[in-house]
Amino acid sequence: MAATLTPTAATRRAPDRHHRGVARWIVLALVTAAALAMLVPFAFMLLNAFKSPGDYSTNGPLSWPSEFYTKGLRTYWEQVDFPLKLWNSVLIAGSVAVLAVLVSLLNAYALGVGRVRGRLWIIGLFLLANMIPQESLIYPLYHLAKEAGLYNTRLAVIIIFTVIQSAFGTYLLASVLGTFPRTLLEAAALDGAGKWRILWRVVLPNLRPTLSVLLVFFFIWTWNEFLIPLVMLIDNQTQTVPVALASLQGDRLMDAPTTNAGALLSLVPAILFFLIFQRTLARGITAGADK
Amino acid sequence: MAVPDTVAARRRATTAPPTVTAGTRRRPSRRDAAYWLYLVPGAILFLLVIGGPLVYTGYLSLTRWSGVGDPTFIGLDNYRDLLHDDVFWTSFKNTLAMIVAMVLLPTLIGLVLAAVLFDTIGRRFRPRTAAALRAAFYLPQVLPVVVAGIVWGWILRPDGAFNGLLDSVGLGSLRHDWLGDPDTALPVVMAVMIWVQLGYPVVVFMAALERIDPELYEAAEIDGAGWWRRFRAITLPQIRPETFVVGLTCTIAAMKVFGPIYALTRGGPENATNVPSYFAYYTFFKKLHVGYGSAISMVLTLIIVVVSVLFIRAQNRAERRDGGL
Amino acid sequence: MQRLRRVAVAAVVAALAATGVTACGDDGEDGSGAKVLKLWHYEGENSAMGVAWDKAIEIFKQEHTGVEVRFERKAFEQIQQNAAMIINSSEGPDVMEYNKGNATAGLLSSQGLLTDLTAQATKRGWDKTLSPSLQTTARYDDKGVMGSGNWFGVPNYGEYVTVYYNKDLFTKYGVQVPTTLDEMTRAMDTFVGKGVTPLGTAGAEYPAGQLFYQLALARADRTFVDNYQLYKNPVDFHADPLRFGAETFADWVRKGYVSKDAASAKAEDMGTAFIAGKTPMIVSGSWWYGRFKNEIKFDWDTFLFPGNTLNAGSSGNIWVVPASSKAKDLAYDFIDITVRPEIQALIANNGGVPVAGDPAQVSDPKDRKLIEDFNKISAQDGLAFYPDWPVPGYYDVLVAGFQSLINQSKSPDQVLDAIAKPYQDGVAEIKRN
Repeated sequence: MAATLTPTAATRRAPDRHHRGVARWIVLALVTAAALAMLVPFAFMLLNAFKSPGDYSTNGPLSWPSEFYTKGLRTYWEQVDFPLKLWNSVLIAGSVAVLAVLVSLLNAYALGVGRVRGRLWIIGLFLLANMIPQESLIYPLYHLAKEAGLYNTRLAVIIIFTVIQSAFGTYLLASVLGTFPRTLLEAAALDGAGKWRILWRVVLPNLRPTLSVLLVFFFIWTWNEFLIPLVMLIDNQTQTVPVALASLQGDRLMDAPTTNAGALLSLVPAILFFLIFQRTLARGITAGADK
Repeated sequence: MAVPDTVAARRRATTAPPTVTAGTRRRPSRRDAAYWLYLVPGAILFLLVIGGPLVYTGYLSLTRWSGVGDPTFIGLDNYRDLLHDDVFWTSFKNTLAMIVAMVLLPTLIGLVLAAVLFDTIGRRFRPRTAAALRAAFYLPQVLPVVVAGIVWGWILRPDGAFNGLLDSVGLGSLRHDWLGDPDTALPVVMAVMIWVQLGYPVVVFMAALERIDPELYEAAEIDGAGWWRRFRAITLPQIRPETFVVGLTCTIAAMKVFGPIYALTRGGPENATNVPSYFAYYTFFKKLHVGYGSAISMVLTLIIVVVSVLFIRAQNRAERRDGGL
Repeated sequence: MQRLRRVAVAAVVAALAATGVTACGDDGEDGSGAKVLKLWHYEGENSAMGVAWDKAIEIFKQEHTGVEVRFERKAFEQIQQNAAMIINSSEGPDVMEYNKGNATAGLLSSQGLLTDLTAQATKRGWDKTLSPSLQTTARYDDKGVMGSGNWFGVPNYGEYVTVYYNKDLFTKYGVQVPTTLDEMTRAMDTFVGKGVTPLGTAGAEYPAGQLFYQLALARADRTFVDNYQLYKNPVDFHADPLRFGAETFADWVRKGYVSKDAASAKAEDMGTAFIAGKTPMIVSGSWWYGRFKNEIKFDWDTFLFPGNTLNAGSSGNIWVVPASSKAKDLAYDFIDITVRPEIQALIANNGGVPVAGDPAQVSDPKDRKLIEDFNKISAQDGLAFYPDWPVPGYYDVLVAGFQSLINQSKSPDQVLDAIAKPYQDGVAEIKRN
């Protein structure tokens, strides 16, 4: 797939230093402006997270808080036992991230490297987990969980989301492993390694960047899940942060400033996770083998 | 552009797309069997969490049930009613809008943005800057959807920030009740969805760009190719696998979108922003018509499956065309 | 399928039993002589009910020294959506707050998920403490329709729709508190004449529908309410009072009494605009009272919707005892404590409306007025419940309908058509079951 350039293009000289310099600054300015525009809603969130309810009602959400109000946040923190909710969220999102990556890896090994027959259909079947709208799963999953004695446990939620997230992981990893260099595998097989050892000693090390990307995505996607935890986790002890945030919304009244403060708190772990893994994100989703 | 052989060989080795070669590389079935074992954990979990419930939902779609007590079997009545249900068809029409707002636009904009961030900013400035900007674009994906609804409500309401902004730049005559007018509600929700969705393609594409061999670009630059030429000839084909992944997952997400609609407009005003998933949710939990809701979900799932199959087929055809292994 | 499912489930459970992550929320307890009372409600800690119920828990603990009270404050949305699932399992509470009405308490009671409290009601005198009109939402028949039948819940507080007004704005524009609907119209004309939108409402949530209902009730009688809410006879949506309600609503939009911008407003927006002093009047419920008292800085008060004998309102949420409760006797004791005078007085003195409180004992005059107004309506059998109650999911239908009236995109006749069909379909279904 070669792209040949015409002779006229070849005579075009590369832009001189000076022009290049200005252009890149303009681009930087534009992109930064766009990024700041993306962050405007977060600015509003911050503005209202530390506002007293009276101030919020009287002066509206767009005004600067008249005083730095943290009482609502502190009361909410204690009332809802926020640290426990944070821990539940971390436990569930973290477990799902790890388990889903594991399951995806096993599936993709069979589909991408093993090239079992009908692999396309199998990938599609696994992807089904992602395609089914969640609200239709609720009644069946409730009955299943109840029968297994797992209703109102975090384990049920972990299992459910492991399946849902691993659908994407299987699809992605199977695509990637499909291009895994045969030579490496054959060399290892010649050395007498079985499939299991090949998976862990040869395939896994080359996939680390991709797996890190999946870890981050799975963690963040599970962190904000609301519908299924709302149904499955009914004891306050097992609930996650999004469910706890919902307690600020009553039948007819709501507490907007505290909701914003609580959301701010819930953002922090997810953002931390993202920032920590940013470096590995840079190493690529479909990194090839290190030669 | 003549690419040195070694570079071409390495490129092919590391980036050749997966091929659908049913039959050309047949393996002895004994070796296949060993690999099947690796599918067992995934398969068991899938059957439990998805397979069984899907069958059960199919059964429920043939019943009338309020969620308590016993379901009553009524055959295909739900599906018959669905065919005549205006709200159902409106919601599918709105899905097309969602696909534009969550697939087409974010993918296109995300691609260009990723290329700019990676190339112009990452290379000409410090990579940290590019990473910081990327984080800013991704942040909306991390925000709980309920809070996004509240904050966008503040921006879009008649006395909100957006109208205020219009006033301050002298466009006060354009003031509007953006989410309350059936004519403007859908476009506005689409704009919010772009804001939500943009970060995902940006992150995926930036990672994809990392794996393109820089020597390809250097060779092209030496030959005098400009930015756009390089983008079209090298970047786009190289990241084709990621483009398909992003396209497919965003399409599935667009067809099942629920959270933002619930948080912003509850499907209103007057069904202007109703989508199948919200309609199903409302039918399940507010109208307590679990059977009818199940029918809606089955049809929605079927449509998503069909679209996905078409997508994956197209992906394979494209790969086969220029993978050539 | 069944057998395969059970085998598969058993395999998974066996495999995962070793991990020990299956810890549930509570320990098992023996059935006899329950030692734990699991209690759930979803009222805010600083609300009148929250304060009163905290005290009730305290008293309960004093009177039942060996018993542990496990109280959990829940999210309304969670209970609303999942009550049936929760009660149907072994993870539910022993006593909980639940929404009153046919679609909620009525539905669950008709499925046998709630304990019949009739014997307790007679034994403990709840049927004497609560006025007959308040008992409507406590009793449900075997089809789940309120008003008659066994006791399934016990309310502690009441709620009703009234008109909140900004006294400062009224004085500023020289408007008097109206006593008839005509006077109210003229008052609103005065405001419009001075360029102020007189009535705040919210088209995206319940307030618009409740405004419509209040207008309809101006021309309604008890028979209408019985027909509309209890399905006694079919309701003609194109006849008065519903026609009057829709046409007047549209008229009010046209005259500028209600802003067109209210179409996308949520209840919260309506409330905060009133607190900020921008709106002269809002027609909404007593549930705002506590918040207004805390946050409003100007002079304000309430008056009953002028000219109406019937008003939207009912008992508040009710205490129910799930059928799966393991501590029913303790639950009954707790409920009994909540209707005692001292607890009712706590509700009264904290901005709530008690069902069995003595207004004379209330110190704050505005609090007292809130309660006296409620008692007045209740005594004249004027509680007409809420417009979205008759049929499950009717809330969204009303929201869509009245958004179109505010947007002036449909005529009143068209809106009445749009809201009539789901009502009739829903009632037919209820009657069929």
